[in-house]
Amino acid sequence: MTGENGCTTDGGTGSLLSEKDDADGADGTPTEDELNEAPAAAASEFAGDDLVIGYPSTDEPVVDGESISVPPGEVTALVGPNGSGKSTLLKGLADQLSLDRGTVRVDGADVHDLGAKRLARKLGLLSQDSTAPNSISVEKLVAHGRYPHRGAFESLTDADRDAIDRAIAMADVDHLRDRDIGSLSGGQQQLAWIAMALAQETDVLLLDEPTTFLDLRHQLQVLEIVERLRDESETTVVLVLHDIEQAAQYADHVVALEDGEIYARGPPESVVTEALLADVFGIDAAVTRTDHGPQVTPLRPLADGDETGGPDGQRD
Amino acid sequence: MTEDGPTGEDGRRGFGDRVRAWRGDTAETGRGTPDRIGRVPTLLDPSLVALAVASTIVVMVGGLIQVSHGSYSMTIEQAWAAVFNPNVIFNPQAWDAFLLGEAVPEMSTESLIVWNIRLPRVLVAVLAGMCLAVSGAIFQAVTRNELASPFVLGVSSGAGFTVLLTLVVFSSLTPFLPLLAAVGGTLAFLIVYFIAWKDGTSPIRLVLAGVIVNMVFQSLQRAMFFFADDLGTVQSAMAWITGSLTGVGWEEFRIAAIPTLFAVLFALAGARQLNVLLLGEQTAGSLGMRVERVRFLLSAVAILAASAAIAVAGIISFFGLVVPHIVRLTVGSDYRKLIVGCVFAGPALMVAADVGARLALRPAQIPVGVVTGVVGGPYFLYLMRRQETLGEI
Repeated sequence: MTGENGCTTDGGTGSLLSEKDDADGADGTPTEDELNEAPAAAASEFAGDDLVIGYPSTDEPVVDGESISVPPGEVTALVGPNGSGKSTLLKGLADQLSLDRGTVRVDGADVHDLGAKRLARKLGLLSQDSTAPNSISVEKLVAHGRYPHRGAFESLTDADRDAIDRAIAMADVDHLRDRDIGSLSGGQQQLAWIAMALAQETDVLLLDEPTTFLDLRHQLQVLEIVERLRDESETTVVLVLHDIEQAAQYADHVVALEDGEIYARGPPESVVTEALLADVFGIDAAVTRTDHGPQVTPLRPLADGDETGGPDGQRD
Repeated sequence: MTEDGPTGEDGRRGFGDRVRAWRGDTAETGRGTPDRIGRVPTLLDPSLVALAVASTIVVMVGGLIQVSHGSYSMTIEQAWAAVFNPNVIFNPQAWDAFLLGEAVPEMSTESLIVWNIRLPRVLVAVLAGMCLAVSGAIFQAVTRNELASPFVLGVSSGAGFTVLLTLVVFSSLTPFLPLLAAVGGTLAFLIVYFIAWKDGTSPIRLVLAGVIVNMVFQSLQRAMFFFADDLGTVQSAMAWITGSLTGVGWEEFRIAAIPTLFAVLFALAGARQLNVLLLGEQTAGSLGMRVERVRFLLSAVAILAASAAIAVAGIISFFGLVVPHIVRLTVGSDYRKLIVGCVFAGPALMVAADVGARLALRPAQIPVGVVTGVVGGPYFLYLMRRQETLGEI
């Protein structure tokens, strides 16, 4: 279908099911018992079907009728230019933006039918607009991650404290534990926020541009946490990344969005191509295959209408 | 409350079970060590304890000064002897009279004056200070705005308008003035919420709607002054709008006590929600909080507290804005400590301000609202100049 520009279509990415035929397989919501009998170590299924997502202030939906299914226990990166709807899609998947249409399922259960706290024990989202009082310590911030696990009047249990310790160790912020958020650099703050999301101990973790505005070292630290999550736990990770090269290097699967539509999806080697960079990002770039995945060398911006891709009909 | 226990149906596949390598080196460390988070009760924080002790001393000293002054002349020794008069303190009949409004039993003139006139003013100051401080602290978190006060969502102007309406137009309803003031404040708050609501609210929409509703009600308030036909009515209205504790008695204490108790209990219970709200709505939402519901309920608690204070003391300006800042400077922004701090510091500062109101222009008394405005405003400016991150919440 799109052989010449190299964009992978649905047929080429068996593991990434898309559109209705595959989603229909998970027909109906499993009962509580069925969920309980699931093997303890299985990673969570996470999928959004026929999603129409918009903001109350605008008439046109940003994401109009897309389906996405995320491979369990792996890392999926959403990439695309500014305004392509990556963050919108992520918020819609996290039930933080109400869907105009469509359903999002975690392990077959509609996220909308789960209670807020129950959902927050299965699905975590680290958003971009996080603000914290300057005088809160890293440890206390991370402790807030236990919110969905605690009753309104329960104090921290030993299990909560263990989870906090694990999250702090995993995000490698133990040396910052007692420091106030206000005294940290932007990168250190982001690690603390990630530790908070880790303390939530969800099956699915969504990260909205976790590396944006960070220096290179902290970007790599964040991405290493993501790698560790994949290698050492069964957590399913979806993250929005600005840097397509990072996406290619760290993600198992890449979903490229353009104008609220999923343009291509699949393993990085098949998605990150010169043609995609021209069509979706509007740049002329050289893509070289390396051991660390495709390497992107941006050359110049393309003028509007200078795209090499075919007509819209060819797009995924 | 949670929909089910924390180790409910998800417990089976808790993160810990799914984690392999990095679990071993951390899971068992620290279990049982006393310095782990949450082990030491937050409320034993030294600065909080110091604040509570200092505040209690201020309330007692201020109270003793307050009961020593008044139009009936008695010496300080006589007044203090009356305060600690065992015949009153251990007389259940007297307490029935104070707390339930029954007939006051026989007692010496000094005791009667101190216990029936001067002391209730101190106690009402304690309640009003507590309410306004807690209410301001809640609103500062709910709107995530350090300039928020109990009156930011229209409460003061709504209450002020109802007071004027009652005094000027429906003067037969004057006995119900405290209740009507609280109702007016609550109505204004609901109007603000209604205006701000569009697929949910946001801090900025709430504050803007509050500003506008405040302006409209204040205009109506001023219009009402033109219909007041005698000076007495105008003075009475002014006292309400400025906030005054002059002449309050046990009846006012009885009006405010129960709402204050509930408001403070709810505020203490909601402290963790307030802490999570401070992380931003998105984060609070993804942590499983139903943000709109929690925000509305917490606002309602703050309105209850503000209304209780308005009902007995009128609209005391600046107090609910400044006190949470002072407490925050002392104990930090953790709301579990902040609310407790406000419960102590609010009464202390209100009692102190009321002593000022009584003694500043002796023998004339000025409304306590004038004192809080005159002292609170410049103090707030001083805080602002002293540190860049004023009231960082």
